[in-house]
Amino acid sequence: MTFHIDTSTGSNIGIAVLQGRLDVTNSAALLNAFPEWLQQTTSIIFDCSGLNFLDSSGLGAFVRCLRQTLDQNGDLRLAALASNVAMIFELTKAKQLFSIHPNLQDAIDSFSS
Amino acid sequence: MKTLIVIKEQNHAWVRNAFPGIHPLLLTLCNKPYIEYLIDFAILSRSEEIRIMSDGSLGEVEAYCMNGSRWGVELTYSNIRTTDDITTILQKNSRFCRDNRTMVINGFVFVDYDKESQYDSIINTMPDGVIASAENEGCLILRGQERNPDAAPAPSPPINLESIDSIESYYRISLDILKNKSSQFVLPGYGNEPECFIGRNVVISKSAEIEKPVSIGNNVQILSGTHIGPDAIVGSNVIIDKNSTVTESIVLDNTYIGEELDITGKTAFQNMLSDPGTQAVLSMEDPHLLRSTQNNGTLSALLRQITHAITALTIIILLMLPFLLIAPLLMVQGKWKKRLTDYHGAGDKKVISIATGTIPNQGVTGKLASIFSLNRYPLLFRVIKGDLSLIGNLPAAVSDNSSAPDQDNMTHYYRPAVFSYAEAENWPVIGSDAAIVERYYMVHSNPLKDIGMTMKALINLPHKNTPK
Repeated sequence: MTFHIDTSTGSNIGIAVLQGRLDVTNSAALLNAFPEWLQQTTSIIFDCSGLNFLDSSGLGAFVRCLRQTLDQNGDLRLAALASNVAMIFELTKAKQLFSIHPNLQDAIDSFSS
Repeated sequence: MKTLIVIKEQNHAWVRNAFPGIHPLLLTLCNKPYIEYLIDFAILSRSEEIRIMSDGSLGEVEAYCMNGSRWGVELTYSNIRTTDDITTILQKNSRFCRDNRTMVINGFVFVDYDKESQYDSIINTMPDGVIASAENEGCLILRGQERNPDAAPAPSPPINLESIDSIESYYRISLDILKNKSSQFVLPGYGNEPECFIGRNVVISKSAEIEKPVSIGNNVQILSGTHIGPDAIVGSNVIIDKNSTVTESIVLDNTYIGEELDITGKTAFQNMLSDPGTQAVLSMEDPHLLRSTQNNGTLSALLRQITHAITALTIIILLMLPFLLIAPLLMVQGKWKKRLTDYHGAGDKKVISIATGTIPNQGVTGKLASIFSLNRYPLLFRVIKGDLSLIGNLPAAVSDNSSAPDQDNMTHYYRPAVFSYAEAENWPVIGSDAAIVERYYMVHSNPLKDIGMTMKALINLPHKNTPK
């Protein structure tokens, strides 16, 4: 899990790269790290291109991160969800909560449009 | 007229991966096992004897179809070699075929027939050879001498074959049968209306909506607020929990669909969700979303109970000295407050009374008692008695309906315990997060892991109790 700020569009967009699995054993780590990222910027993207598994606790962590971002008048967007990860968003209707983009660049561009 | 059904393992290997535990010939399309479609077609072709042949196991098929008396035909079974071609198979079965007209259904193919058509007369006027073939694999072959030599050449046969070679083709054929071809086949279920097939012992909540075309199997529970259909196939022994939607989807046998879910354009089988369009498969690890409705063996539950009891006994012995020294002091000081409360029990234990103790984390004795979690010490004896588990869910009080276990179908995932998985993982012990953590470990833990989690809980609890 890494985080960096992208300034290519002229504004600070936080990009968190998530890898591997996000489940009950490690979703707490995301929740612990997220407030620090939020202090740096309220426009955050989760780059999920390397994420190959998400269970309901991982999804719950996503939702909690989104809620914290919205409380700060920001937004959390998702990029490059794998098919099987996208299915859990469809299944639980969480797809309606997030702005999901096919790739990272689209997600970055969406903040400036 | 006789029929040979020749299906090799390589034709349906994908079924074992996509739907483990289901024999490919018993895979249901619109709630009817695949092999029954072939048997029906053979009967429409006036076959009196049918032989099912495979290079794999046919035990389950034989147990299901038996000798064919259910259909009024004689069913036999035979093994073949993977390398046997049709010519070799016909030679080896020459005694079965004798001089009769023989139809060979070769491959894992769906025969798109119509029960109103007269296939015997069509087949008897056709020449020997391949009379229909599927795009990828599979064909229909005729052999034998019953052809009427004076008959006019037969028109193109109204028989289409389609290979069932992937989840995508399985999904498409199944929904095509339901939406467009339900009148062509004999489909299971009752219904006063066309395009609506409902099996036996189906319980549909008053607030559930069923929109046809729909096919529902036997022993199905459709709970309140659900929306089934259009274009939904629900198998047997399925539970669809509250406020969920199933449209343009197939839910196979023995599957539980959780609450508030949206299954659209998918295939759900036990804990596996597949998208026929993208071929993506998700193996769900959250039992409250998707899981099998079949119970795990009781042997594992017994092993767990024994392990928990032995571990509890060990902890009792280890903590006996601190308990005997500190507990009386706390009681004399009036710091040990006990309360008897009724809690929901596990399984068939409806209600259990548990005396819970609270100890303020103050003073030397209070802090020591917190470090050793001595307030939980008396509960360890209930583990040996079998009323509680060592680790599981925190007991849900009977008076508190919000924490009551979901009686509909989750009771076998509720295990009141001395320590909770949420405590072990340092999650808040109330709320939906705790429920998710606990359900995860209920499914994925084993007796050895439980011992580790108990130690983790014993370590984490004092940190929780320490004022910051």
